[in-house]
Amino acid sequence: MANKTSNAPLLGETFVVGLWRENPVFRLLLGMCPTLAVTAAVKPAFTMGLCVIFVLLCSNIIVSLMRNLLKPHLRILMFTLTISTFVTIADLFLRAFQPRMSEILGPYVPLIIVNCIIICRAEACASKNPLLVSIIDALGMGAGFTLTLCVLAAIREILSTGAIWEITILPAGFVPWAAMRMPVGAFITLGLLLGLVNLATKRKA
Amino acid sequence: MSNIKHFFHQSWLLIISSFCFGLLIAVTNAAWSPRIQQNEKDKLNNLMTGLITEARNFEITIEGVEVPGKKGKITKTDIYQALDDSGSSAGFAFVAIGAGFADKIKLVIAVDAKCEKFLGFKVLSSNETPGFGDRIKEDYFGNQFKKAPAGGLQLVKTGDPETIDSEIVAISGATVSSEAVVKIFNAYIDKVKQQLPEKELKTNGQ
Repeated sequence: MANKTSNAPLLGETFVVGLWRENPVFRLLLGMCPTLAVTAAVKPAFTMGLCVIFVLLCSNIIVSLMRNLLKPHLRILMFTLTISTFVTIADLFLRAFQPRMSEILGPYVPLIIVNCIIICRAEACASKNPLLVSIIDALGMGAGFTLTLCVLAAIREILSTGAIWEITILPAGFVPWAAMRMPVGAFITLGLLLGLVNLATKRKA
Repeated sequence: MSNIKHFFHQSWLLIISSFCFGLLIAVTNAAWSPRIQQNEKDKLNNLMTGLITEARNFEITIEGVEVPGKKGKITKTDIYQALDDSGSSAGFAFVAIGAGFADKIKLVIAVDAKCEKFLGFKVLSSNETPGFGDRIKEDYFGNQFKKAPAGGLQLVKTGDPETIDSEIVAISGATVSSEAVVKIFNAYIDKVKQQLPEKELKTNGQ
C-alpha cells in the first residue's frame, strides 16, 4: 500500500481495498468484539460504524502528520494516546446528543480504544504514508467495517424481530427467532457469512 | 544533565501530545457535560412522571439514604417527593440498584404518598439477556407491581399475574432476573419507609 499515492486510480484502489480485499471483519478478522456485540439491530451497528470511522479518520490524520517525528519504541504509546482521545470525544458526543444510542452501545464505545482495526491502520498505513493516503485508507477501512456490521445486523434484526431499521418488513405471522438477538445468533451469522465469503473468494481464485 | 536532555529528546512529542490531547478532552467535556447531566436528569424525570402521573414536580426530600447490598456494600439513593398541581404529595420515587443475571439492574421505583402501595417501576439501565431477562421491562411483569403492597414481596413461579398482591409471578425463562427485581424492591422499600418521617406520611394520608 505504501507510496501508491500520487494518482487518483491508486487512491481509489486504496479505498476499495478496505471494502473487500482487506475487509477488516471478513478478511482480516479484526474488530470481532463490536462485530459480535452490537449487531443485534442495524441502528446501533451503524452508529458503531460511524464512531469507528470518526476515530479511524482522526487517528490516521494525527499519526500521518507526526509520522516523521515518531520514535520507534514510543510509537504504540503515541497511537494509543491518539486513539483514546478521539474515542473519549466520540463517547462524550453520543452521551450528549444521542443518549439513547449511548445506552444501547454501553461499554462498546469506550472499547473502540482496543479495537485492533484502528491501531493496525495506524501502524500499517498512517505511520508510513502521507496524509491523503491515510485519510482514504481510514475512510475505506471504516466504510468496510460499517458495511459489514450493517449486513450482519440486518440479517439478525430481520430474523429476531421481523424488522429492519425498526421498520417491520415481515408478515404478522412471522415467528421471531429470539436466539438471533443473543450472542449465539451473532456467532452463527458471522460464521455463516465468513464461510460464504471464503467460498466466494476461493472460487474467484 | 545529559540524562535530562536525552529524556526530553526522546519524549518531547509524547509530552506535548499528552498536554494537547488532555486539553482537547477537557474542553470537549466542559462543553458537553451540562448537556449530558441534563439528559440524565430528563431521563429520570420522564421515568418518574410515567410512574406518578399526577406529579407536576419532583423534589429531593431525603438525600443519600443508605441501603446495604451484597457483601455489605452500601449504596446511596435520594428519595424524590412528587408534588401535584396543588402542591401536595402524590408519592415518592427513588433509584434502586441491585445485582441482576448479567450485570447490575438499575430501577426507578415509585410508592404512593402513604408509602403503603407501590405505583410501579421502570428500568433505568440493565444488561439482562435479550429475549429473556430483559422482559422485566415488559408491562406483563411490571403491572404486577402496580398497587402491590409496599413491602414483603415474594416471587412465585406459578400464579395469576393479573392478581395484585404481594406474590409476583416470575417471567418464564428469566427467574433470576425476576428474582433480582423483587429483591431490589424488598431491600429498598424497608429503608425508604424507615427514612421517611412519620409526620410526612400521616400528613400525606389526610
